[in-house]
Amino acid sequence: MRSEQIFWPVSADQKDRIWQLCKKRLQRMPIQYVIEEWDFRELTLKMKPPVFIPRPETEELVNLVLEEFSQSSYPGKNPTSIFLEVGCGSGALSISLLHSLPQSHAVAIDKSVDAIKLSLENAERLNVHTRAEILQLDILTDAEELLLLLTQKYGLLDFIISNPPYVFQEDFIHLAAEILNYEDHGALNGGYDGMQVIKAILCLAPHVLKDYGKIFLEVDPRHPDMIQEWLQVQPSLGLDYIATIQDFCGKPRFCVLQKSMQM
Amino acid sequence: MEVTAGIGGQEAMLFTAEMFDMYQSYASFKKWSFEILEYYPSELGGLRHAAASISGQHEVYKHLKYEGGVHRVQRVPKTEKQGRIHTSTMTVAILPQPSEIDLTINPKDLRIETKRASGAGGQHVNTTDSAVRIVHIPTGVVSECQQERSQIKNKEKALKVLRARLYSKKLEEEMNKRQSVRKMQVGTKGRSEKIRTYNFPQDRITDHRVNKTVHDIKGFLLGEDLLDEMIQSIREYTDHEMLKELLENIPAQ
Repeated sequence: MRSEQIFWPVSADQKDRIWQLCKKRLQRMPIQYVIEEWDFRELTLKMKPPVFIPRPETEELVNLVLEEFSQSSYPGKNPTSIFLEVGCGSGALSISLLHSLPQSHAVAIDKSVDAIKLSLENAERLNVHTRAEILQLDILTDAEELLLLLTQKYGLLDFIISNPPYVFQEDFIHLAAEILNYEDHGALNGGYDGMQVIKAILCLAPHVLKDYGKIFLEVDPRHPDMIQEWLQVQPSLGLDYIATIQDFCGKPRFCVLQKSMQM
Repeated sequence: MEVTAGIGGQEAMLFTAEMFDMYQSYASFKKWSFEILEYYPSELGGLRHAAASISGQHEVYKHLKYEGGVHRVQRVPKTEKQGRIHTSTMTVAILPQPSEIDLTINPKDLRIETKRASGAGGQHVNTTDSAVRIVHIPTGVVSECQQERSQIKNKEKALKVLRARLYSKKLEEEMNKRQSVRKMQVGTKGRSEKIRTYNFPQDRITDHRVNKTVHDIKGFLLGEDLLDEMIQSIREYTDHEMLKELLENIPAQ
């Protein structure tokens, strides 16, 4: 936009459109839903209520995975990789990874049909849809079906990535109106201790990952300790807790786990 | 490159916007890339402050370094109702971009500040303030970026600006020892010596360091041949002066 344009008067039609958008914002609609898009790393994605809006912390989760791939030399690494995303929402994580790893393929699931539709739309707009399979599945109820699909169609996975619903039930009342009134609670609510979906992912993981395959999770700052404690009483899972990484506010935010041995 | 409006209120900011546009065109003319890192406009289409990262072949820094300093404009401002001529200023600062190897910044020395600092963050919060501020603790040098909607992109840009400022600081310390370079390189904000005057009524541009005057301000502001020739003249003059100094400093046998 060149500087002269600032002198051109706004038309009545433009004013009206802006006012309509302002009204939405005045009703506490998140700005991302008002303008129907937002940026995630190098991409601009479409946003539509009630599909969960990607948070800035999640951008770092992608970087974490990419760093792994640039310096990784663990056995089983292929030039073409395949991963699972649980709870894809708008598709931000999968699409960003597919975009940065041109040889990768993704299976992305979400229990919400709105999320699936939006992820598909975003994947097409960003031209990664040919390497993505986006399915409406709920890991809490459809784990068997997912397992079958993955083993039959794709074989074992290189990694699993997720920003699962992790808000503790009791913390819900503290969320802002923008979140409570517009975003899908199903994308936020992790049950009484926020661990419900996390545990489901960790239980599924050993069955779908290659040996030494990794799991990358974004969680509540209290979860890294809770996950490590829980794993100690789940030896049959064969999962090792590798690391907790902080986000740029210095909060423990990301957990990296690894499948340690053959089941 | 950092540009900042100086004395003269709205008129200074309008002039700053024109100068930034000129340098953007010049970068295009020289086939350099011009990436805007910061851009703080004013209400009337002027510019308070902006920063851009310029890269490319053919000695970007060697061309642009002489643009560093205070530029002065003399004209009847758009905001002026009585047709009086005003004098306003703007400052250009040129900081060389360090290569990754030259300047290693220890991540432990950085304090990264964002608006999400308090509370649980993550899924609990949805605010759109993605501004990032980085403080280099040992030197106190600060950089900020709120240009982008992506927080990680703001962090990357803020880091870029920080590196450039740290490098420039280091460089200035060494440069201050060389007299001729100090004369020509009014490179960082704060120096009040005006390097060039743009006089609109007389349609002339005068560079005070080499005492050279050219005409056709409109053409000059296009950021093409006229600007390039001016820069060339200053380079030649400086090289000449540096050579003189070198020869004068050879001890007599």
